[in-house]
Amino acid sequence: MLKQILNKFLILNDVQAAIVIQENGEIIESMKSGIVIKEELQGVIATIMLDSKKTAAQFGNASLSMVFVEFSDYFLILGPVMEEFYLVIIAKNSANIGQITYEMKKNQDAIVSLL
Amino acid sequence: MIDQLPEGKSIGWMQAPPQWIFTHTVRFIGVVRVVIQDGEGFILIKKGKPLLYYFKHGRIELRGHAALDYFNSHPTIEFNLCKYTPEEFSQALKICNVEETMPETEIMQEQAPAALAQVGVAEQTADETPAITRAEQPPPEQPEKAEPVTEIPVAAIPVKPVATVPAKPVAVTERPLVPQPAVLEDPDIKIIGQIKKLNGIVAISVFNDDRNILLMGDVEIEPLLKIARTMLATTNKITPHLDWGSFVHMTLQIPEGNVIIAPYHENNLCILTTRTINIGHIRRILRDLQQDRTQGVML
Repeated sequence: MLKQILNKFLILNDVQAAIVIQENGEIIESMKSGIVIKEELQGVIATIMLDSKKTAAQFGNASLSMVFVEFSDYFLILGPVMEEFYLVIIAKNSANIGQITYEMKKNQDAIVSLL
Repeated sequence: MIDQLPEGKSIGWMQAPPQWIFTHTVRFIGVVRVVIQDGEGFILIKKGKPLLYYFKHGRIELRGHAALDYFNSHPTIEFNLCKYTPEEFSQALKICNVEETMPETEIMQEQAPAALAQVGVAEQTADETPAITRAEQPPPEQPEKAEPVTEIPVAAIPVKPVATVPAKPVAVTERPLVPQPAVLEDPDIKIIGQIKKLNGIVAISVFNDDRNILLMGDVEIEPLLKIARTMLATTNKITPHLDWGSFVHMTLQIPEGNVIIAPYHENNLCILTTRTINIGHIRRILRDLQQDRTQGVML
């Protein structure tokens, strides 16, 4: 069922992966296309999750809404789903960010209900 | 005098060390309006050459080096760079009673005595380096001699005391102006100013590992820099593990707004925005900036 929801992201133009991941780097579920999620990438995502949570806390204990890291070829969007669970989208830089973030918000409750 | 000066075209308000002004105005013609606490002043500049320093706080007026020393007594000052057209600049010269053809050192000395007599602070000895160099090396403190005759005690403004040695003409050629290496060029300031003007931008800073180089916006820089550096540390940790091309930006979104960091030449940008900002627009700008950088185009 979670795969079906993640697949909604994968059908968006130039999205390469949709992952539900825990703060410790453990992947709960993922859907990918043309990308291999190695341990190294898991480590990168875990670093972004933990560091960003800490950084957001520097704003008077603000909660983290979303993190967006962009490189010249790919970008990564990470949004908290619940507690220690995050939804991560990896896409080519030609992907439509607005569409991705809209789908993230739209499907958040459905993902929570499956965790 | 400040009120009489032509308005000029504002490039934007900034916070930076006073030295920054002298090292970043090599192509700038206009006035730098300075605000320190309740006082305000200005530096009239022509292509990096300061023609007049002026500061007023209540009835205290400082001109020439006394004003410069006061500016230099602050680690950072808030100022607005206002560009002048040739007409506005001529008008400003008239208002300030500055003759453009006069050597810089003479201009500042000639302006100094009358104003300083008002506050009982005399001008510093003429045998000193020109202003641009002096900004990097503030003069040693010397005993105060004259008494202030103003309403507000001079101590209210932490001006470094200066001696009452009369100004002597000095051959400027003995110590030529040595322009300091510029960190940001005039076009850079323009670009930063343009980004700051976008809807939803609260503040924008250019910073490096050591310090804040430029800040536009009304925020406390230290907490913002701390967050920006933490974000930068995260990107430094992850970048070597990703084969995704060069780093463009990292945006952290919290309910109150966004913090964006991005490389900018050899420095970094930190942008604080409201939640309603058009991220797509900012993203395009940052990508363009980086493309220009990689193509080696001088911004």
